Amino acid sequence: MVPASKFKQVFVLSTAMLSFISFWKAAAIVLCDFGSSAYYSGGIAMKAYGPAFPWFVLGVMLFAGVMLAVYVESCSMFVRGGVYVVVRHAMGKFLAKIAVSALVFDYVLTGPISAVTAGLYISYLAKSLLEMAGMHFPFSPNMLAVVFGVAVIAYFWKENIKGVKESGDTNVRIVLFVAAIAAVLLVWSFITIYVRGFTLPPFKLEFSPEALGWSKHISWLQPIGMIGIFMAFGHSILALSGLESMAQVYREIEDPKVPNLKRTAIIVFIFSVLFTGVLTFLSSLIIPAELVAGEYSENLLSGLALHLHGPYLARLALQILVVISGGLILMGAVNTSFVGANGILNRVAEDGILHDWFRKLHPKYGTTSRIITMVAALQIVIIILSRGNIFLLGQAYAFGVLWSLVFDTLSLVVLRFKETEMEREFMFPLNISVKRYQVPVGLISVLVVLLITGVLNLITKPIATVAGLVFTAVFFTIFQVSEKMNEKKAQLYKPDEDKDEELNLRREADIHTVVPELTKARRVLVPVRNPNNLHHLAEVLETADDETTDIIVLSAKIAKGIQSGGETMSDEDKEVFSAVVLLAEKYGKTVKPIFVFSNDPFYSMAQVAQAAGVDEIVMGVSGSTGAEVQMERLAMAWGMLKKPDEAAKPVLARVVWEGRQMTYQLS
Amino acid sequence: MIKQSDGIGLSAIISPENVVFIPGAPSKEEAVRQLTEKMLPRVDGLIGRKALFDRVAEVEKLNQVLESGFYIPHAKFPELDGFHAVLGIIPEGFTDQATGLKVRALILLLSPHKPAFFQRHLNMLSLLSQTFQPELIDKLAALQDPAAAAALITGK
Repeated sequence: MVPASKFKQVFVLSTAMLSFISFWKAAAIVLCDFGSSAYYSGGIAMKAYGPAFPWFVLGVMLFAGVMLAVYVESCSMFVRGGVYVVVRHAMGKFLAKIAVSALVFDYVLTGPISAVTAGLYISYLAKSLLEMAGMHFPFSPNMLAVVFGVAVIAYFWKENIKGVKESGDTNVRIVLFVAAIAAVLLVWSFITIYVRGFTLPPFKLEFSPEALGWSKHISWLQPIGMIGIFMAFGHSILALSGLESMAQVYREIEDPKVPNLKRTAIIVFIFSVLFTGVLTFLSSLIIPAELVAGEYSENLLSGLALHLHGPYLARLALQILVVISGGLILMGAVNTSFVGANGILNRVAEDGILHDWFRKLHPKYGTTSRIITMVAALQIVIIILSRGNIFLLGQAYAFGVLWSLVFDTLSLVVLRFKETEMEREFMFPLNISVKRYQVPVGLISVLVVLLITGVLNLITKPIATVAGLVFTAVFFTIFQVSEKMNEKKAQLYKPDEDKDEELNLRREADIHTVVPELTKARRVLVPVRNPNNLHHLAEVLETADDETTDIIVLSAKIAKGIQSGGETMSDEDKEVFSAVVLLAEKYGKTVKPIFVFSNDPFYSMAQVAQAAGVDEIVMGVSGSTGAEVQMERLAMAWGMLKKPDEAAKPVLARVVWEGRQMTYQLS
Repeated sequence: MIKQSDGIGLSAIISPENVVFIPGAPSKEEAVRQLTEKMLPRVDGLIGRKALFDRVAEVEKLNQVLESGFYIPHAKFPELDGFHAVLGIIPEGFTDQATGLKVRALILLLSPHKPAFFQRHLNMLSLLSQTFQPELIDKLAALQDPAAAAALITGK
């Protein structure tokens, strides 16, 4: 056998593991953002338009099902989607920049509203416990919530600078704990209602002067009838925050992607209706109305726990659990706000609309620390300015939530006419076929609802309108200026080398150090070279069972000379990896990309295949040599590396191209 | 002797008559040309001189020296029904310009150009590259007798 040390080594320069998550984990990640609104949306709605709030919060949660379906259609079209990508494809960069500015406003505000709400729940609990102990400290829960909120933001700022990623497992644990507490609250609430009886909340809108905003000065715009309903709906719409997380997490969902996305949406929908919608409704049935508007307006679920039927200590214990669950899910939402805002801004930066200054990597941790610090600074300023006023934060929050939904839905309507041939594994229902178009009656109806709500929100929420427009304008300007500067730079220099997504690469000294990471029963080696010729990889990804098969994607680069170790990956090499990552994301299957330097790609192919003990090698056809020559070279490399007395394991080699394949049994 | 699963052994293609020692340090092209000359009488009546030289020269552009320093120029002809080979041993060796590898042994292999034979053709290439490891090439280069070389390879 050829002694490896005598010849040019195969350098495993870098590897990147792409793994995908189940729909359960995906749902947990979305719910850590989306589900957290249960802790504050009811109180904010009550303060805005009075005792009819549970009807509207429940209505918004049912409407969430509609919006989840909208997101399923957009995700099925774009694996790496989200508002920015969808709007850019449908209506161009200009509107995409406006949409993403609104979305960033949403993400930035997710941090303060979640951190302050968690602080308020803790403050009110502390106040109760102190009073129970006979200690009366004159402290303001709102001020304590500000201090707590700032501390939480600072903590997650530090964690995100260090590059701590969201863990799907942690999210699942948080959501399971929250679900358990929610189940206790639900069961106990029904027992309480059974014992005490109940009266349905009145469907009567009593808007506070603040909730009417500028509409007070518009004589024909009275908060009655349908206008009143849309106004109230607009004051409850903040409960929809977090839907964008589903678009962000879609790329990580495992095969089969769209069916799993639908399952994710169904879980999110059921959890949200029960947790946010039904629990808010039950709160209004159990807590006296004056307390909902007063003592518990900022900690509604704590109020629910304390007003259940049963011994006080048991209720207090449940309140403590409610506060702990709220703290966990709300802090999860704070982290999501960092991860989401950072992810969105990095995504737009890849598109050249955010100046490289923002993307400069932290010297130690390699994170985009300037973006993270900017988000943290904005969040802390917002918390301080709000003085812990959750209603103020809620008003502003609705702006980003609503307008990003408007842009997303509008874009899907446009795409139905613009991209008629584009593959859609799911279409929002209620469509009429007219020639080659699927006229989206359902989507247009949703858009009309969102638009009316959005316009009324602009009028009824002056603070949100001013803050949202200023924020959007500032970010839009940053994007515009960045784009111009980047265009200028592109004319002066060669294309930016740092625009691609950061690849999670590591250098290994030998292929054998990577082999233990392959744990599945079957192994397939897929050599790749050209990012535009990955038909064979697509074929493998389409047919392989992710549960039982490790797919090793090998990219071998020709490097002359006998031995070295200083080779680095070029942009072209990274382009191959990026294309592999995109394709794996599309099919939702795990791949193990490996990049090696060798002076013979077939030698490295055979070496990796033998070291990893693969069952199959699947090659794409080479335009320069053809399939037969590829097979000949592989056969020679295989024989050269084969140990003389080694037990022969049958390995199938295939060259695959459009509609054809050539096979060879290596022995 | 190493055998592939289809039972084709090297003794079927390597005998003292088709082993040649090439003196000096010829270029790769010259070495291949000498082996082709030696091959010509073995395929006489099946493949003409020009066709043989042209085809070998054509496929030679696609062939590469193996990491082990062994070289297998090979070509397929529809006129053939079995393998034909000529082994060249160059004690002094030559340096391959493309890879920088020292070549002291090479084999010109002709195979039938028939789909049913392709698997056997690949098996033969694999068997040759497996057999001609640096240790064996060192031993062959130390010999001077084609019969001894053939015996060393085939184990007879």
